[in-house]
Amino acid sequence: MAFEDALAAWLVRQRWFAGKGRGLRDLAIVADTEIIGGDPGLRHLIVTVSHGTTVDYYQVLAGLRGSLPDQLRHARIGAADDGRQAYDALHDSDLTKPLLAGIAADSAVGSLQMRRVPGARFETGLDSLVISSEQSNTSLVYGEESILKVFRRLSPGPNPDLEVTAALSRLGSPHVAEPLGWIETRLEGVSTSLAILSRYLRLASDGWSLAATSVRDLYAMEGMEGGAAAGVRAADAGGDFAGEARRLGIATAEVHADLAAAFGADELGPDAVGELTEQMFRKLDLARAAVPEIGRYAEMIGDAYSSLAKLRGPFPVQRVHGDYHLGQVLRTQTGWVVLDFEGEPATPLAQRRGRSSPLRDVAGMLRSFDYAARHQLIGRPDQAVLSGVARDWVRRNAGAFCAGYAEAGGLDPDANGVLLRALQLDKAVYEVLYEARHRPSWLPIPLDSLAEF
Amino acid sequence: MTEHEPAAGRPAPAPHHVGLADPQSAINFQEPFASPPSEPVPDFALDRPRDPEWYRRAVFYEVLVRGFQDANGDGTGDLRGLTSRLDYLQWLGIDCIWLLPIYDSPLRDGGYDISDYMRILGDYGNIADFVELVEEAHKRGIRVIADLVMNHTSDQHPWFQASRSDPDGPFGDFYVWSDDPDKYAEARIIFVDTETSNWTFDPVRGQYYWHRFFSHQPDLNFENPRVQDAMIEVLRFWLDLGIDGFRLDAVPYLYEREGTNCENLKETHEYLKRIRAEVDKLYPDRVLLAEANQWPADVVQYFGDPETGGNECHMSFHFPLMPRIFMAVRREQRYPISEILAQTPKIPAGCQWGIFLRNHDELTLEMVTDDERDYMYAEYAKDPRMKANIGIRRRLAPLLDNDRNQLELFTALLLSLPGSPVMYYGDEIGMGDNIWLGDRDGVRTPMQWTPDRNGGFSSCDPQRLYLPPIMDPIYGYQSLNVEAQQRSPGSLLHWTRRMIEIRKRHPVFGLGAYEELTSSNPSVLAFVREYADPEGHDATDRILCVNNLSRFPQPVELDLRRFIGVTPVECMGGVTFPPVGELPYLLTLPGHGFYWFQLPPAREEHDR
Repeated sequence: MAFEDALAAWLVRQRWFAGKGRGLRDLAIVADTEIIGGDPGLRHLIVTVSHGTTVDYYQVLAGLRGSLPDQLRHARIGAADDGRQAYDALHDSDLTKPLLAGIAADSAVGSLQMRRVPGARFETGLDSLVISSEQSNTSLVYGEESILKVFRRLSPGPNPDLEVTAALSRLGSPHVAEPLGWIETRLEGVSTSLAILSRYLRLASDGWSLAATSVRDLYAMEGMEGGAAAGVRAADAGGDFAGEARRLGIATAEVHADLAAAFGADELGPDAVGELTEQMFRKLDLARAAVPEIGRYAEMIGDAYSSLAKLRGPFPVQRVHGDYHLGQVLRTQTGWVVLDFEGEPATPLAQRRGRSSPLRDVAGMLRSFDYAARHQLIGRPDQAVLSGVARDWVRRNAGAFCAGYAEAGGLDPDANGVLLRALQLDKAVYEVLYEARHRPSWLPIPLDSLAEF
Repeated sequence: MTEHEPAAGRPAPAPHHVGLADPQSAINFQEPFASPPSEPVPDFALDRPRDPEWYRRAVFYEVLVRGFQDANGDGTGDLRGLTSRLDYLQWLGIDCIWLLPIYDSPLRDGGYDISDYMRILGDYGNIADFVELVEEAHKRGIRVIADLVMNHTSDQHPWFQASRSDPDGPFGDFYVWSDDPDKYAEARIIFVDTETSNWTFDPVRGQYYWHRFFSHQPDLNFENPRVQDAMIEVLRFWLDLGIDGFRLDAVPYLYEREGTNCENLKETHEYLKRIRAEVDKLYPDRVLLAEANQWPADVVQYFGDPETGGNECHMSFHFPLMPRIFMAVRREQRYPISEILAQTPKIPAGCQWGIFLRNHDELTLEMVTDDERDYMYAEYAKDPRMKANIGIRRRLAPLLDNDRNQLELFTALLLSLPGSPVMYYGDEIGMGDNIWLGDRDGVRTPMQWTPDRNGGFSSCDPQRLYLPPIMDPIYGYQSLNVEAQQRSPGSLLHWTRRMIEIRKRHPVFGLGAYEELTSSNPSVLAFVREYADPEGHDATDRILCVNNLSRFPQPVELDLRRFIGVTPVECMGGVTFPPVGELPYLLTLPGHGFYWFQLPPAREEHDR
């Protein structure tokens, strides 16, 4: 079996492999750079995979050892052409350390450029640990100091996250993790980010887990203290989240202000508003075709879009986060930090770096509150009773978030209700499509909330 | 006794036979810093200082003399009664008793209105009883500290009587007098519910006198060198009687300066340094514990100069931590605790925080809230239950709905977070309170010793008791008392004693650094306490504490790569857990559960 075949077989098993359910054809290694010779050795590979007409790029850091120690066996890819064992090198501290040192030293290997952010200071020589594997990347932590996000699937071009966090960090924002360096190469003639090194935020946990803690406490209180008859309210629950939601709103407004300062702001005139609502309608049509259940809300949604179109603007627009939800924010000991300024992964890069209404992020977070409250209802026998409590939780925390956002100088969500409503519905429609495709058991979440809009 | 004399500044090595008679202590795993339990406190000698930093490892126990034990049957607790219960405190593992004011007083403010600094309140006994208490306590390895109010006296104090009636006499300038009640207008009024001004007119002298607290508590004038000397004389009087230190009440208010808020003034710190120098010179192992109900960043000034290891007070209470422990458990997430500890500045080497869950006189939130830096008030204001919990004086058990799991979690946090724990009498048996009594008296009811008359507190006619004992079906003394719990191995009392014992085996809890660990679950607070003996001895003590703040079972993955190869040993039972490897360390905790693990040195390869 050729190495390419082993690689293909390994690739399809990875969480970040995008072609799930589709056949993998024509895997080709288009770049192969030896970073470390000898044993263990490290090769940097860029491979292309074609599905029909589309071509995806993947980055593989292949470790090579004559014999694979037990603790690396889980990362095995297969036999390399030289007979040694190839494996996912991100799991091997012996091989990840030189990457850190390379970034610190601004070194170059072949077409790979390792770069340190000017002025950034960080320790090298630390062991690494893979801590998370997302849909498109894998992150490893060095000691407790820095975190290297390695993109698995590559899109040609600069990474918006690096661009944004570097700009906000220069402005002194306390709401981003300080970027320390990156690795890049050229792909299709443009410089393309392969990995980003940032300051690791120890002791942080993500907003989704924190919100889930609050919701869990509330639902248990409902069960313990006589239920809906006793009139359980989110405000009375021990795990009340509203204080955090308000602080998150403030942080969001501050991030938006810095984004506008760093990348400029503009206004959306009547034509652009028309175009925006056109896009919303098109997405709605797509959803109706794929998920007939959404049909019964189509009129209500369409009315909201039409109301927006009638307003004609102008609406302030600027660089935004673009994929804003509770999973993208971290609570640290000092406050909220925003992660992953990459925009919606499925959207083309140019659009992700474009300007949009800051209320798009607000809408995203409000939808996320809705998810946080509803996802714990799935499969519960007392779902019907609890849905009123869920609504109360969402109302309370969405209200606190919006109040914090407006208080800190963000565009007042209350005064821009038509726009915010359309953006929330647009997001919900996207969710319906996404859940129907990837996670059918969660499809009731956006559908149920559409029923209450 | 001299063979067991600890060398200066360092606990003596553990005699390995100690504790084996007690079946609960039979588990004998590595105890590099074990100190002998209840070594008598040696007599004081200048050329042979005792362990001068004992307070950094000590477990404190706050006693209301009035409520602990009545020896003479008059319905009020007294010093001789307390002396008769020292065996119990020794059994429990207490290192230091903190006495609420014991001085002569008209008792208009719980004894914080002192009318004679050198007399014991008649209800409590006399100086001879006090000396006996100290001697008997020292025999059992227990130290004794007492409250002392330097800022003000009772208006019944002879100094004040002399000052008001003879302005030109020797005490004429002992208090802060003025014709102008608008002086020091920037000083806030602390007891806003009862006082409208910090000045009160005295018809005898025809002038206003200054008081930061009640109008019957005139402030002493520390500008007057004779007042400064008189107060040092008071301190020396008690130190010479063998007292091990003072909890100094209301220290931020000693001096006044126009144009300031009259708190934390430079002159106040200078006077505290003078007191400390006096103590260091003549009484080098005594402790000064400041009561400065302020934000930690402001409180640290009361430790003095870090260069010297601290040259004002040895200890100070950490006030904001307590409400945040309650809030974290209520919120089921660790940030209220993480945040306040992250904001707590480093303290000088010889200093220590005093931490507590409950005490006799709860703080009000207003006193710790700094509106710029703190979100506490906003958080509490939204939650009527939290507000009530903190504002109304309650005991620990009723606050936690008498939930044993929560009582254990809170006690474990008290005994493992950085600082010396201060327990409140009765909380070790989960005593209840009486909310029908006045707000402070509700938590000052008689200690419940036995199911007998008056809970064993006094032999008097029940109607003569200073306060009725708790008699309800849950917390009443018939069922909830020391005797019953001593007989029941599963009782809260035995559990608490066991935890204190573990804490005392590991001075790292008092001396060690505190480092919070990254955990994947926001409901779990995990931290490591670590201490390396500064004198080498090749010994490091490390304890990993993992606390589930949620009432639901929780999993947590900890990044313990720093401890690769270490085999954690659970401290309660001595069970070894799987060794730490490269991957995140997975633990599951029951609702409100916690673990303490000792992390012994990683074993060498050839040992495996």
